[in-house]
Amino acid sequence: MSKKKDCNAHDNPSAPSADASAEMKPSELQSCVDRLQRLQAEFENYKKRMTRDMSSLGDRIADQVILDFLTPYENLERAFRSHEADKDVEQFVAGVGQIHAQFAQILEQRGVEEIPSEGATFDPAIHDAVLMAPSEEEKNTIIEVLSPGYRRNGRVLRASKVTVSQGPATQEEQA
Amino acid sequence: MKEKIIGIDLGTTNSCVAVLEGGTPEVITNAEGERVTPSVVAFTETGERLVGRLAKRQAITNPKNTIASIKREMGTDHRVHVTVNGKEETYSPEQISSMVLQKLKSDAEAHLGGKVVKAVITVPAYFNDSQRQATKDAGKIAGLEVMRIINEPTAAALAYGLDKDHEQTILVYDLGGGTFDVSILEIGEGVFDVLATDGDTRLGGDDFDQRIIDWLVEEFRKDTGIDLSGDPSAVQRLKDAAEASKKELSTRMETTIHLPYITADASGPKHLEKKLSRAKFEGMIDDYLQRTINVVDATLREAKKGASDIDQVVLVGGSTRIPKVQELISSRVPGKTSREINPDEVVAAGAAIQGGILAGEVDEIVLLDVTPLTLSIETLGAVATPLIERNTTIPTEKTKTFTTAEDNQPAVEIHVVQGERKMAADNKSLGKFQLTGLPPAPRGIPQIDVTFNIDADGILHVTAKDKATSKSSSITIQDSSRLDDAEIDRMRKDAEEHAEEDQKRTELIEARNQADQLAYSVEKALADLGEKVDASKRSEIEDRIRRLREKLDSDAAIEEIRRETEELAKASQEVAAEAYKQSQESSTEPAGPSGGEAKPNEDDEADDGEYIDAEYDEQ
Repeated sequence: MSKKKDCNAHDNPSAPSADASAEMKPSELQSCVDRLQRLQAEFENYKKRMTRDMSSLGDRIADQVILDFLTPYENLERAFRSHEADKDVEQFVAGVGQIHAQFAQILEQRGVEEIPSEGATFDPAIHDAVLMAPSEEEKNTIIEVLSPGYRRNGRVLRASKVTVSQGPATQEEQA
Repeated sequence: MKEKIIGIDLGTTNSCVAVLEGGTPEVITNAEGERVTPSVVAFTETGERLVGRLAKRQAITNPKNTIASIKREMGTDHRVHVTVNGKEETYSPEQISSMVLQKLKSDAEAHLGGKVVKAVITVPAYFNDSQRQATKDAGKIAGLEVMRIINEPTAAALAYGLDKDHEQTILVYDLGGGTFDVSILEIGEGVFDVLATDGDTRLGGDDFDQRIIDWLVEEFRKDTGIDLSGDPSAVQRLKDAAEASKKELSTRMETTIHLPYITADASGPKHLEKKLSRAKFEGMIDDYLQRTINVVDATLREAKKGASDIDQVVLVGGSTRIPKVQELISSRVPGKTSREINPDEVVAAGAAIQGGILAGEVDEIVLLDVTPLTLSIETLGAVATPLIERNTTIPTEKTKTFTTAEDNQPAVEIHVVQGERKMAADNKSLGKFQLTGLPPAPRGIPQIDVTFNIDADGILHVTAKDKATSKSSSITIQDSSRLDDAEIDRMRKDAEEHAEEDQKRTELIEARNQADQLAYSVEKALADLGEKVDASKRSEIEDRIRRLREKLDSDAAIEEIRRETEELAKASQEVAAEAYKQSQESSTEPAGPSGGEAKPNEDDEADDGEYIDAEYDEQ
């Protein structure tokens, strides 16, 4: 590295304050410029590679998730085939119930939890208000969940879509 | 480090912020993990201020204190009245906008890990002076020093680097979620001149979703007699499904909308299942799209330009992903259409570039060139083996190690080619040279480092060096990146067109090389092992080798070669164990031998010229 010190001359506090490049020989300056350009090009190429790697990493993660869900998917197909053969509704419902539990297990293993909504106080950080309706419940209480929301490791995957109470009808009219 | 200047697309429905990093614009993800932020501000009853996604989510519970689309009021006397903690407060559009800007600023600060003070903000081309001033004031209130206000279409053109091209006229077609704008710009020497601008402030992708929802409701009513439009839970599901199917139809010709258990009546649960083809969807929104084309026509007239005067069309806004939109615009305006950059982010990206220019970052960086086409050398079987892939930023240097294809080969020929085709002969030859004086050695043993070094001026220096003797030889090629665009385009297209046949040819060559290598290794192993191999086994294997070589000589099909190779491998399993050991130890890629062929290394793709030294058995 000793040969490279010239490029950094201006970083040296003991160096004269005059423009360091002025003291460089043209050949030294040229070699500094070349090194700078190569470093910059390397950074550009590194960024390109990272972009490529990130997208292939994303692909592989998606593959993994899909693999997890293939088992319940296949079980669902088994359920239909079995129902086709014996038309036993009770058995079919029991089977589908198990498959549902399997889905729930996968979600749980992946740290996915449902966002508590029904009866909770509306919070825009985790709930998405789709409707407001008069109800006996206190204002801003969630009275209906239109679609549940989920979060994972504290991050909201999907906010739950909810109907929020506007309080008893009369109160609203006064407001 | 220079102070960063962020670029902000302050939109009617959504906003986006980007910054120049290492010369390219990067969109900044907000605290909620999204790349765009809804331009919505809300004041909760407790006096809390919400901006973005959260404000949008609570809008329906708090309509009087939630403000959306404030951009429409910029520069007017409009005042927003909200009630906070029981007290009425009044805000100007600038103040509300500043709250959106403040969130974008703090998201940018979180991303960059430092204070952000300076910004470039975009506005529609039709904004008048007072609207621009109001936007600037909004920035000031947010604690930003607004370095410049630029037009959204100008930002889009900047993102595509059109300021660097020759003088030209461009049309920017911006179809977002809720607004539509057309602008015609003239660009010359980095100066942008807006010739005309027009639009429809209430037209966008949300209207398209509504058409799908209406259709689904109608179809379901026809099928079941049930009206879903009164069922809020069903409507919510219809909305989500409509948007998802619209997006899917941008890449597929048909999609199926499944909404099981959408509702129920006395007879039991009802499921909605509808196929929607791209053509059907296009029919649904045809009148909207025609309206946009009429606006394009009006804008052209206002600019006193014909469609043929437009050199380039730039597409902005998420709805321009719809193939029909692209088709209509390119049939109306025949110039080149640009849509490579994410249309939701292109304006912010352009603003970030403007920020970079103002910060002096762009000048300072001196944009580096990239290699327009792959640079390779010819190896065994006349295959082009890449050293530097296309689109690599220069200056750069890559080294790969090659070897010989024949025993006692005295020289290798390095043939440098440029292009994307798999076979050397199909690419452009840039030059050839020889490295001579290799000491006699079995094939696969010599190690020849070939180095491609491209300097900042695009001059390519190729050096071949024999590791054993340190002998080297080199060539300098002046014009490795000096191809004109048409030639680069032609060569890339050529490669795309021939991709399949090239793939087959390379596969054949690989199979041949493998066969040849195996025959050679087994033969060598037989010789080395001598009498350790019994006579009948030996003659069986020799027979196999002879048959495999016959196939190679008679240019047999790939299947036959593979089959014979496998047969030989099977027949010589014990011998092969020994032979493979040798062949793997010397699997360096044979470079072009003089008068002979070169052959590619097996494992050269994974690394960047690093050669893993193998140990050699001194036989």
